[in-house]
Amino acid sequence: MTRQEKIRNFCIVAHIDHGKSTLADRLMEYTNTVAKRDMEDQLLDSMDIERERGITIKLTPATMKYTYNGEEYTLNLIDTPGHVDFSYEVSRSLAACEGAILVVDATQGVQAQTLANVYLALDANLEIIPVVNKIDLPSAEIEKTKKEIEDIIGIPCDEACEISAKTGLNIESVLESIIKYIPAPKGEENKPLKALIFDSYYDSYKGAVSMVRIFDGSVKVGDEILFMQTNKTFVVTEVGVFKPKAVAVDSLKAGDVGYIAASIKNVSDTKVGDTITLKNNPIEKPLDGYKEATSVVFCGIFPLDGDKYQELSDALEKLKLNDASLHFTKETSLALGHGFRCGFLGLLHMEIITERLEREFNLDIITTAPSVEYKIFDNKGKEYDVKNPSEMPPMASVTRMEEPIVKMEIITPKDYLGGIMDLCADRRGVYHDMQYIDANRTKLIYTMPLNEIVYDFFDKIKSISKGYASMDYELAGYQDSDLVKLDILLNGEICDALSIIVHKDKAYPRGRALCERLKAVIPRHLFEIPIQAVIGGKVIARETISAVRKDVLAKCYGGDVTRKRKLLEKQKEGKKRMRKLGSVELPSEAFVSILKLDD
Amino acid sequence: MSKDTRPMGIYIHIPFCSKKCDYCDFVSYSMDTKAQQLYLEALFTEIDMLKNKFMDRTFDTIFIGGGTPSIVYEGFIASLSRKLYSSFHFADKIEFSIEVNPSSFTKEKFFEYVEAGVNRISVGIQCLDQKLLANHGRFQSIENVRETFNILRESEFPNVNGDVMIGLPGQNKRSVVQTIKFLLKNKVKHVSTYALQIERHTMLYDKLRRGKIKRMKDKDVLTLYEIIYKMLSKAGFKRYEVSNYAKPGFECEHNKKYWDDTSYLGLGVSAHSYIDGYRYYNTKRLDTYIDAMNENKSAVYRKEYVSDAEHREERIMLSLRTAKGLNLEQFKQDFKEDLLRSRAEQIKKLTELKMVEVVDGYLRITEPNFYVSNQIILELI
Repeated sequence: MTRQEKIRNFCIVAHIDHGKSTLADRLMEYTNTVAKRDMEDQLLDSMDIERERGITIKLTPATMKYTYNGEEYTLNLIDTPGHVDFSYEVSRSLAACEGAILVVDATQGVQAQTLANVYLALDANLEIIPVVNKIDLPSAEIEKTKKEIEDIIGIPCDEACEISAKTGLNIESVLESIIKYIPAPKGEENKPLKALIFDSYYDSYKGAVSMVRIFDGSVKVGDEILFMQTNKTFVVTEVGVFKPKAVAVDSLKAGDVGYIAASIKNVSDTKVGDTITLKNNPIEKPLDGYKEATSVVFCGIFPLDGDKYQELSDALEKLKLNDASLHFTKETSLALGHGFRCGFLGLLHMEIITERLEREFNLDIITTAPSVEYKIFDNKGKEYDVKNPSEMPPMASVTRMEEPIVKMEIITPKDYLGGIMDLCADRRGVYHDMQYIDANRTKLIYTMPLNEIVYDFFDKIKSISKGYASMDYELAGYQDSDLVKLDILLNGEICDALSIIVHKDKAYPRGRALCERLKAVIPRHLFEIPIQAVIGGKVIARETISAVRKDVLAKCYGGDVTRKRKLLEKQKEGKKRMRKLGSVELPSEAFVSILKLDD
Repeated sequence: MSKDTRPMGIYIHIPFCSKKCDYCDFVSYSMDTKAQQLYLEALFTEIDMLKNKFMDRTFDTIFIGGGTPSIVYEGFIASLSRKLYSSFHFADKIEFSIEVNPSSFTKEKFFEYVEAGVNRISVGIQCLDQKLLANHGRFQSIENVRETFNILRESEFPNVNGDVMIGLPGQNKRSVVQTIKFLLKNKVKHVSTYALQIERHTMLYDKLRRGKIKRMKDKDVLTLYEIIYKMLSKAGFKRYEVSNYAKPGFECEHNKKYWDDTSYLGLGVSAHSYIDGYRYYNTKRLDTYIDAMNENKSAVYRKEYVSDAEHREERIMLSLRTAKGLNLEQFKQDFKEDLLRSRAEQIKKLTELKMVEVVDGYLRITEPNFYVSNQIILELI
């Protein structure tokens, strides 16, 4: 057998919680890649947040050795991010493989992200091995799940592995199937180097490191390499494989999965999807499918304490080192002072970044309502890309507006169909199709404006369906839209951080809801505070927070002083979390809670 | 804080009651004469243990509070006061207050108190609506109340305070008006008003949680506050602290020490002391207190140093409770901070809102805004 005939490159695709990471752990354990005592559950999800949420954001590949029929095989597992925000990254990971393990939870059946990812795998021409997981659970419905996979996805399930990743039941069958059914790579070692970057990360010693799949040729230390999209050249300082910790090797050859380090300072030079070749012996054209990571959701991030601006700036720089898809530029808000306008791949990406800022960097931050990027055309024929409501040109000069839309797929038990369709209609969704998956479940297809789902759509879907429905979406271009900028005035002063761009039909209810919400979260002050929602100078809603009338400690003698002081400390603590907007103090929750409006 | 050279106050806690009122969270026990004797002995021991430490200090107020100081057996207070006089150094003129409850106050006790040097009596009248009080576990008859004031009036006792409670669930305006009228008719010189605070670990808290009673609305409590303010102002009283009114010259000197940062010594179970910048907390348990005294050990279970930052905040929060306000020059000396500069923005805003004013070097909260004093204090600390 040739070297490449003993290599298998594969990934695992699954819906959230169907057991992808657990299976990966188990595979590494069975192949002694990681000693059992060193096993930390879900080894591949290395960030705390990932582990807590049970999702994978950054990829970590693993090279395993497994002996089958007397031959030692190299199995390269390339992990894929489990969330729709990262579907481009998923597609590049898939492009690095010849096969995919499709994990389906026998207690839940096929879900929206199962489908989304499996379609991507089919698009990439991967061999798919169906695996029915969690068969140890009493509610497992193995046959039904297999039939679903056959019916919906069209993959025969006669030889599907039936496993429990948790207990380790039938794990060998998965390893054997990988070797038996997934094709070996068929690269040519003698051709010029052709390597795909499917992810990158920043290492403080090695610089930006590219995770690569070598298709043709080979690469070793000292080679001068060319990144074909960025057109930059570097000298290789180290090549290696992941076991799953990075281990240096002499060279990487066709069919291999590993990493290349070349003292690159910036992760943005190691773009996912780019092709690496040799400078002196380049291939003619790069691999297909390269895409720039584009931000879809934007929001302002400000330090709660204005003095922490520099710390926030440093923290974002550090996160950016490892996350080329995070974009940020300086922004100054009248209300919130200096901060950043940040662009994200999606809502989850945004949540993860804000959470990491708070947890890993211990920063108190205020995030403004997420926005999408609108295209605004004015009467002079000028086009504006508006991702911040405060950049909106005066309404009088605007002739036309466009907003981004998505194609949305929702899979739901039929009991919740009505509720979900109502929600979609309410969110300006346009119905396209409905498909029956089985007697109980239905797939809905809609197009809807992205700005209708950036707020709380996913939460809503989950609450309507008691957690049973799942959703997935992809961007589907722009459409004309009738939008307005809604401003909020507090005590007569405009609060730019609370401005939103909203569809005209939604402006009134949203304005009203915003005022009510703010009334509920802003504590009473020593004076009356009017809250107004305004469109172009016209007040469309108003609430008033009446002044505090009584806040006094009735008695305060010797023994009461300590108690009084504690009370004061508590009030002081509360005040610290306030942000001053003109004469009004807003709790930071105000900015968050307005995102989740029930209108 | 260096040694406080001003005359100090003494507070003595009498932890006995016939029955605990539903709203009370003070330490009290219902005990027989035997227990009271043991307690008096323990107080003597505590005084003996401390007297040498205070040899070079002068005291000019005594305040016997509770609990119900009037419930202890005849002779207790006389004996206690003799002990105090023989142990500490007092100024020529002192203020000596005792709290009494109409249900246990008698002519005999009154004479005993006067004999002992008591010159200020504080009557816990709370409200004339006896049914309302009974609903809150306080049993006092209207006859007892009348009798108490008859005794005081007949002997022309010069300095009487009436304690009035407002905001009791179920309390109406009329009963508050009646109560104040009654006090005025009886020529009291001082009125303390307390808006009820429902504290944890009280019967009332429990009733509230179980939905048996409803908290009085803030605006209704305010109305009662305002009624009292108007009635008393008309009668020549001045509000000199958030909850205290007095005729000129009858302010409670002892209580003023709490608000103007003067040292005081607390004796007895659950008493607190504040001496030269330290706070001391005596044990709250009667048996622990008596045991400690029997073994000649300190009753203090916690001692804390009030840091400069805390001291600064306490100064602001306590002095702003008084009509006189905060002495800005003194503040500057003590904390090296000119509040008019360091809080310029807030003071400007609050002045515009007519909530504070600076008069003769004092920063003070304007009269109608005492009700939001917590909010104002919060702006200024």
